[in-house]
Amino acid sequence: MNNERSMLSRLYPTTKFMITIALCLAAFIVPGYGFSYAVLPICMVLAYFAGSFKEFSNLAIKALLMIVVFIFILQSFFYPGHDILWSWGIFSIKREGVEFALFLTSKIVAVASAFILFFRITKVKDLVHSLEQIGLPSKVTYVILSTLQLIPEMKKLTLVIMDAQKTRGVETEGKLLVRMKAFLPTLSPLILGSVASTEERVLTLESRAFSANVKKSSIYTLEKTKYDRLVQILLIVLLAILIVWRVAL
Amino acid sequence: MSIITIKNLSYQYPISESDALKDVSVTIERGKLYALVGANGGGKTTLCNVIRGFIPHFYKGDLRGEVLIEGKDIREWGMGELSQKVGYVFQNPFTQISGVKDNVFEEIAFGLENLGMEPGLIREKVDQVIRMLEIDYLRDKNPFELSGGQKQRVALASIIVMEPDVLVIDEPTSQLDPKGTEEVFKIIELMKNKGKTIILVEHKIELIAEYADYIILLNEGEVAMQGSTREILTDERALTFGAALPQYSLFGMEMRRRGMDLGSIPLTEKEAIEAVKTWMKKGVNA
Repeated sequence: MNNERSMLSRLYPTTKFMITIALCLAAFIVPGYGFSYAVLPICMVLAYFAGSFKEFSNLAIKALLMIVVFIFILQSFFYPGHDILWSWGIFSIKREGVEFALFLTSKIVAVASAFILFFRITKVKDLVHSLEQIGLPSKVTYVILSTLQLIPEMKKLTLVIMDAQKTRGVETEGKLLVRMKAFLPTLSPLILGSVASTEERVLTLESRAFSANVKKSSIYTLEKTKYDRLVQILLIVLLAILIVWRVAL
Repeated sequence: MSIITIKNLSYQYPISESDALKDVSVTIERGKLYALVGANGGGKTTLCNVIRGFIPHFYKGDLRGEVLIEGKDIREWGMGELSQKVGYVFQNPFTQISGVKDNVFEEIAFGLENLGMEPGLIREKVDQVIRMLEIDYLRDKNPFELSGGQKQRVALASIIVMEPDVLVIDEPTSQLDPKGTEEVFKIIELMKNKGKTIILVEHKIELIAEYADYIILLNEGEVAMQGSTREILTDERALTFGAALPQYSLFGMEMRRRGMDLGSIPLTEKEAIEAVKTWMKKGVNA
């Protein structure tokens, strides 16, 4: 998976994004909820081919299960309807509610799993690079990339600050109240420090000609291969067939 | 020929009450190494910021006097243009990382990418610098995961690769261990031998005695003394302006004070040994 990346993950980011969009559109074109739910297993299969089956499944199921369960409970009990399937005291499950919950959750599952798949099989670096190719200003892409890289750095810094505060007698472990009290002395140096280091970051960027008025180049390259074309055409044809079938129905 | 001319320069930071630089006049010759020394708060970093153009382009405030870089006033230079003329490396190795690259090779290439250089040429130049600074073993590492000394060398490499004529290096070793310091100075010497003009802020006076051609001593925003390294570091007055002197010249002065004149005041360890040897021989003969 590392060096010998699978064909799917080697696709150009925009092609991967097209897969995601196609899956979402298909979920809305095909009537009923069966297909929409099926998008999740489809994504799992795709993730398997991209070599990230486990991560994808874990994330998707964890994220989606909660949402789906909650929507089901809320909608089936509180959606207005007459056809009562089961009741207990003042609470009752209505058929309309269950139907609506099925409709809603199926679409959510489809869209969410398609997007989770996209972010699982696309490296942020690749995504940002392709965005830059499309013409997004480098200042915007810098913000996206540096934020993502800085988060783990901030985490490390938090630990350092917590240690420093501990040596000064600030309690950072124990009961909830103790931890909450430690919040301010930990967070304020973190935030103030980050603001202060922004100034030096600017100097760094200026030293590297970040604001030079020329078109930037990049030694990082992503090639569009013939597979990209193939996949794109395939997706468009499939979507067209779906639409025709839906209209003819 | 002088590459930088500063005449009657005064500068006041936006929210401060007094001038950080007062009537500074300095001429920087091409291809020489200038050391800026003096106590903290003396205006060394401010002067560096002026030469690099961060003052007045980034920090506002009140700038008076004349700063010419290759004959053109600093106010007329663009920030992007200047980055190819004057390279700037500063103290904190941890903030001198672009923060958007996940390996050292691309980190070093970042500056050239910003200049829009052709990718093939960038690779060639980065390769060259990596070999020159002997940091090939860092090539594929994440810049965030390097040690302080390694980061500082990557920072230097990232600037050197842009091939500026002038290098402004502000306390590059103050956060490094002796080994890191030595490696950074090896790079500085290499750049000096390549004919770059270097302006170096440094507190380790023994290293200055060894490498610098000229010394500019700043005290409370004014140029207290300037001249050749030997001239300044053998002059006791430097001490009253908050500068340190190498232990070897202090030794020479102390000997002179006690009536045991070595003949000259040594600057480096080598010179001190030489001087003491000849002095002892003289003593034997007498």
